[in-house]
Amino acid sequence: MSSTALDDPLELDEFTRWEKADGGGRVAESSLRIGGMHCAACAGTIEHALRQVHGVLEARVSASAQCATVRWDASLTRASALARAIEQAGYQAAPDTAAAARAMRQAEARTALWRLFVAAFCAMQVMMLATPAYVSAPGELAPDLKRLLDWGGWLLSLPVLCFSAQPFFAGAWRALRLRRIGMDVPVALGIAVAFIASSGAAFDPGGRFGSEVYFDSLTMFISFLLGGRFLEMRARHRAEVSLEDATARLPQTVMRLDADGAVEMVSAKRLRVGDLVRVPVGQAFAADGSLIDGATRADESLLTGESRPVAKGPGDNVVAGSLNLQSPVVMRVERSGGDTRYEAIVALMRAARSQRPEMLASADRWAAPFLWAVLLLAATSAALWSVVDPSRVVWVLVSVLIVTCPCALSLAAPSALLAAAGALGRSGVLLRRLDALQGLATMQVLFVDKTGTLTEGRLRCVEALPLAPMSAAEAGRLQGIAASLAAWSTHPLSTALREAAAPAASSWREVHEEAGQGLEAVDADGARWRLGSAAWTGAPATSGTRSARAWLARDGIVLLGFSFDERLREGAAEAVRALQADGVELRLLSGDGKAQAQAVAAALGLVSAAGDLTPDDKLAAVRAEQQRGRIVAMLGDGINDGPVLARADVSLAMGEGALVARSQADGVLVSNRLGDIVQARALAKRSLRIVRQNFAWAALYNATCVPLALAGWLPPWAAGLGMASSSLVVVMNSLRLAR
Amino acid sequence: MDILYLLIPLTAVLVLGILGVFAWAVHHGQFDDLEQHGAQILETDDTRLDRYQSR
Repeated sequence: MSSTALDDPLELDEFTRWEKADGGGRVAESSLRIGGMHCAACAGTIEHALRQVHGVLEARVSASAQCATVRWDASLTRASALARAIEQAGYQAAPDTAAAARAMRQAEARTALWRLFVAAFCAMQVMMLATPAYVSAPGELAPDLKRLLDWGGWLLSLPVLCFSAQPFFAGAWRALRLRRIGMDVPVALGIAVAFIASSGAAFDPGGRFGSEVYFDSLTMFISFLLGGRFLEMRARHRAEVSLEDATARLPQTVMRLDADGAVEMVSAKRLRVGDLVRVPVGQAFAADGSLIDGATRADESLLTGESRPVAKGPGDNVVAGSLNLQSPVVMRVERSGGDTRYEAIVALMRAARSQRPEMLASADRWAAPFLWAVLLLAATSAALWSVVDPSRVVWVLVSVLIVTCPCALSLAAPSALLAAAGALGRSGVLLRRLDALQGLATMQVLFVDKTGTLTEGRLRCVEALPLAPMSAAEAGRLQGIAASLAAWSTHPLSTALREAAAPAASSWREVHEEAGQGLEAVDADGARWRLGSAAWTGAPATSGTRSARAWLARDGIVLLGFSFDERLREGAAEAVRALQADGVELRLLSGDGKAQAQAVAAALGLVSAAGDLTPDDKLAAVRAEQQRGRIVAMLGDGINDGPVLARADVSLAMGEGALVARSQADGVLVSNRLGDIVQARALAKRSLRIVRQNFAWAALYNATCVPLALAGWLPPWAAGLGMASSSLVVVMNSLRLAR
Repeated sequence: MDILYLLIPLTAVLVLGILGVFAWAVHHGQFDDLEQHGAQILETDDTRLDRYQSR
């Protein structure tokens, strides 16, 4: 795609989200995929190039995900200018939509395979030509035959040097031009030194470069490095494909129903709130909404990690991106486009992918001094060896340059954190900040909100309280009548009554609902029933029915009272027990009455429960714990939890919760299952353990191999093998988390 | 052992030839998806396996 086509509004919307700026202008946030990145240092280079563009407010580049998120002012610059800036820095940019990314991935995979094959195949041939020099006794090999073999090795090394090793030279050149240092610099230097010295020895035997050639070591080293990068690239592509599968789930065209019931095919982007859409079996719901007609089962595994299909009937909510599995249905659109839960989740995933956690930033800071130290060491060792044994100077210099591996250090944290975040995402916990993993693993106090977090937002009818003595069967019959009358109302108490008992078969006439008071209707026998508040039914305030909140009356005589209770979320008690066993102190913070908070706390086995709290009180409670030096986590859902979520060291929001809560939290429990937090903590602990293992391995590797190379005990080919495998060990170790 | 003076240059030429063949294969997508064709026989739809099949 030419870069000016990026400015087309329809094209732009594919990879850009718009926000209102303070001054009335528009601020765009664009996602771009970057091609040609090899190491963590490249990210800084591209960020620098983007920030030079006039009008760019913020640029974040993720080396591990190879994508950039740029916030820019629409009145000052254009998307094509961003792409040009990236291209001038020596990389490729494409909008972050699946098609362009797939093409870029395919081209990258083909080029990488091609480079690897050239290097490996030539290395084998060069090795064959080098064998006689190793196996022959001194003087056995005729000098002119030796020269012919060296010439053959030189010729077959040329494609490796000029083509296969090109990424190393390009990377080193880019780094030098920007006066930075990347891991390609010592590698490229090593390759160049080895090739020049060997060529000198091959064409001028006994000259200033001696008569030893290293073409075999050189080509083998390049193919080991490329092999390592190829495997890394494959793993990265797999991760990208799985993310794209998740994001490319919405259908392109949908069947919209007109007012007269005719079907019209329209783009999913044209859907508006209130539209009726027919969804055939096997298609994904294109927007959030509710079912109008038909009953089916929906696969919501993408959004919630819940693999069982969920039964959906008329009136039930469906989520964009979930699949219709059983029968065709008609839905009414309630939220479309960027407002859907699906889009919010996709935006979260993008944000998490492109931001850089603290641990990674510190690894990047070490990389540059480390590389300078390597260059210094190599120069010192070359100087020393030129005194001790001039014939081995080149050999030692090349080994030292090649064997040191800052990439294992710089991959140690991000590879593990990304793998863990990916695994969590699949099981229904989305992380907005990768740092949240560290907080999850180390949290000491967890504050939980009550309504909507520990309990469902709905009520449950717990008891029917007769006002006059009556048999259980009679009370059950009356409860059925109440349920059937409650079916006429959508009030939360009515919903709870309907769920509590099977509705009796009654035919109601003259049904009338007084908002905030209750229902009134006449049954088949002419009796006038009322269901509702004490004032509406005329219920007396007696001690036996104090907890009741709704009453049923026939012809002015109150018969039954109903008491309600909040319904605990499924698995809440197990999750609380598991977290307490894991050493986390749980505390309930609620804006509701103290009695209700304590009832819920008692049901869950929580020691501490505070009720009647304002958002400021909640904030103060979190701050007090933080001042005692403890790591505080917060789990909430409501608008009033927003500031507290932002204040806590790590915060999680429920997927059903308010948008404010979700945007302030570090992570979202999409599935609304409290048990997920237990699993997330276990995984976070494992990922920190793996990060420590990775750092230990990278440090141990460098501490062992650098002295060996300095002492001249490590030939260049072994150095190449060691460097490639040390990176691979780190990546493989991290990928254990993704399983 | 004089034959070596012919065989070594011949090796070099042969290697370059093989590289050319592999270049063609890579850039025509022969290695893009190694699993797909094995699984294709299990699929029920009767799309042609390649564009020469219908002849």
